[in-house]
Amino acid sequence: MRGIVKRFPGVLANDGIDLAVRTGEIHALMGENGAGKTTLMSILYGLHQPDAGEILMRGEKVRFTSPIDAIAHGLGMVHQSFKLFNTLTVWENVVFRAEPQRRGFIDKPVARARVRELSDRFGLQVDPDAVVGRLPVGVRQRIEILKALYRDARILVLDEPTAVLTPQECRGLFAVMRNLASDKRTILFVTHKLREVIEVTDRITVLRDGRVASRLVTRETNPEQITRAMTGRNVFFTARRGKPQLDKPLLEVTDLTVGEGPKPVVNGVSLRVHAGEIVGVAGVAGNGQSELVEAIVGLRDHSQGSIEIAGHDVGGKPLRDRRQAGIAYIPEDRAITGTALAATATDNLSLGFHRDPPLSRGVFLDLEAMRIRARGLIERFTIKIPNEMTAVGTLSGGNLQKVVAARELSHQAAVIIAEQPTRGLDVGATEFIHQAMVAQRDAGRAVLLISSELSEIMSLADRILVMYEGRIVADMPADQADEAKLGLLMAGAQGHG
Amino acid sequence: MADLDQPLPDAKRRRWRAAILWSPVPISIVVAIVIGAAIMQITDNDSVEVYTEILRGAFVGPNLVYTVAWAVPLTGMTMAAALPLRGGMVNLGGDGQLVMGGLVATMVALDLPLPGTARLIVAVVAAMLAAGLYAAIAAWGQVRWHVPMLISTLLLNYPAKGFASYMVRFPMRDPTNGNPETHMVAPDARLPQLIDGSLSSSLILMIVAVGLIILFDRRTVPGFELRLRGLNPRFAGYGGIHLDRQAVLTMFAGGAMAGLVGASIVLGDQFRFMDGALVTPNYTWTGLMAALLANGEPVGAVAAALFFSALQIGGFGMERATSIPRELTSVLQAIIILLLATRAGLKRHLRLG
Repeated sequence: MRGIVKRFPGVLANDGIDLAVRTGEIHALMGENGAGKTTLMSILYGLHQPDAGEILMRGEKVRFTSPIDAIAHGLGMVHQSFKLFNTLTVWENVVFRAEPQRRGFIDKPVARARVRELSDRFGLQVDPDAVVGRLPVGVRQRIEILKALYRDARILVLDEPTAVLTPQECRGLFAVMRNLASDKRTILFVTHKLREVIEVTDRITVLRDGRVASRLVTRETNPEQITRAMTGRNVFFTARRGKPQLDKPLLEVTDLTVGEGPKPVVNGVSLRVHAGEIVGVAGVAGNGQSELVEAIVGLRDHSQGSIEIAGHDVGGKPLRDRRQAGIAYIPEDRAITGTALAATATDNLSLGFHRDPPLSRGVFLDLEAMRIRARGLIERFTIKIPNEMTAVGTLSGGNLQKVVAARELSHQAAVIIAEQPTRGLDVGATEFIHQAMVAQRDAGRAVLLISSELSEIMSLADRILVMYEGRIVADMPADQADEAKLGLLMAGAQGHG
Repeated sequence: MADLDQPLPDAKRRRWRAAILWSPVPISIVVAIVIGAAIMQITDNDSVEVYTEILRGAFVGPNLVYTVAWAVPLTGMTMAAALPLRGGMVNLGGDGQLVMGGLVATMVALDLPLPGTARLIVAVVAAMLAAGLYAAIAAWGQVRWHVPMLISTLLLNYPAKGFASYMVRFPMRDPTNGNPETHMVAPDARLPQLIDGSLSSSLILMIVAVGLIILFDRRTVPGFELRLRGLNPRFAGYGGIHLDRQAVLTMFAGGAMAGLVGASIVLGDQFRFMDGALVTPNYTWTGLMAALLANGEPVGAVAAALFFSALQIGGFGMERATSIPRELTSVLQAIIILLLATRAGLKRHLRLG
């Protein structure tokens, strides 16, 4: 791709980008959000037309007016959100719109055989007859890859493919990518995750503000150099996914019981969250997760057990003391607990900070400081709101959740408890919240994530607990968990560990 | 996404809704005036003349002083209701708190062996403390035993009024007087008069108190916390506000305002405690309505209180000048409140629908 320029109203998304990818290599396209990766890939795939510039394939100038064009020229794309029919089988999905036919009917044996052959050849390990809806996310992604290969894609674009995968699944994907590369297929790997780029790619193109910031050879570079290219500044580099500091439990709950009788709502729960760790609590809603969280943060009394935050025993203390000890809390219901809908964004963002300078001096509020701070948070969390004095009741779910996240995450609390943090949000807002939580983890905080969304738990958590009927029935590292196993535990099958 | 900002079906309907939602108090007043005029036409009265007499009765010459003198206790009782209401709590115990304040102010002013001015100051402060504590009992009952304040504040009126009645009939009674009244407070323990016989310096006390409440509401940390509690108590608690402590303190402050009113009337106007004299003018309930109209917002509540004062005092003037009884002004007041209440209900309905 040469000199690609694309303008959107008010934004110059791509500003003269040159991208050269060699046959048979794994090439990383990196950049922060808004750097222009997605726009560039959409142009390559024929979804957008460039305002200037050209695309060359094997030296020939090509012009794609639609994805169908692009596919015909041997391009395949695996999107972040999969485009599959969940009720159909794997082979049906793969051959869709390119079915092998015999006398007007789909030639099922041939179709299945081809799918199986492709799967075996590249080590994809997919059963052609499985129903897609029952397969874990990682397998669905491999089906998307199969779809592209079935159409004989020579160039594969993988857009943030690991965002939804467990570490285990990532390793599987990387093996597949290497197999494909050795088959002289070209892979464009769009990501912002350094570790993966270092692990699997040959060369790197880094975008920043719609331009190429750097071209690097993976073997000759290092994470610091890439980060500098991505952000344009020297960033204190925290090794992503540095090991959790197991000697530093920031949240320690011991034998916590809420309610009375033989079957209390929360029944003797013990858990620890360490610095630099995300612990996910999976479970079908109503198995005591909400009560557990409310007891930890102090919205509900517990009948037994202890709660320690960063070494301070906070059991029995009021909520404000627990917050001061270092808890931030993104509650399950942003409209009922997390905000006051009739209050302005400034008021909503100020609660919890309003007792301390600079928002107040003594008993008096500094209204100007409150507004300035609110404006800052609105900008930093890209909250779409007319101004900081608008009532938050007018906001969409995603923006409302950003208000909650902006307030809670700016506490810089040691422990962050997030309860169903992305429920009802669109993909963009979900990704935003997820990245914010990962950033907190990488900054050495302890994150307790409660979600009934298994994929969310699996993509974010380092350790996974399963809660069933008020008890923790399983505790395992994320790479030992899969949806099937967790699903069984959530349904009440005997746990272990 | 369950968006709250879904565009409405069409812009016209949206404008119509907005007009209802944001139609300000003035529209209700205009409608009430029109309805009032219709009533007068039906009963063969000249509505222009009647309204002119109401205005004259409220604002012209000495009438303006009466209106101000009436507005002082009414505004005080409005604040006694508005402060808790700002935090979503309803104080129906204004009468009891008012009586407690008046009684304690009288006791101190009559019997405390201190020089005059000191006795006056102690009397006012003691009245505010006593009434504040009396109101706080209800909050404490709710916090500690989950007794709804809506009920406890209302019921606590009766023991207070009964106790005061007993005190002025027996231990504190002036035996030379045929009515159940206490002795007169010594002149040096009375509030100084601004206009002799009609307006005391309680006006200044009230202006200061209202000013402090507005400052509290807009500029202070506890004022901010109270406002957020009123908008969403669950959010306030989640944000670290001690709701129990806040409830007790807010009710104390509301009660203290009622106590100030009680002391002002006793020490600035009547100079003795007369059984029933504090509750008969209905300051508590008119004040509660004013507070409700403004949803506890202090500036709006004061405006409503002043408006009701003018309407009620204007009613006396109208009664004197025309053949219409002053109940007409109560009718107007009721219509305004009904219209505003309908609007609030409609707003909720539209939001849900």
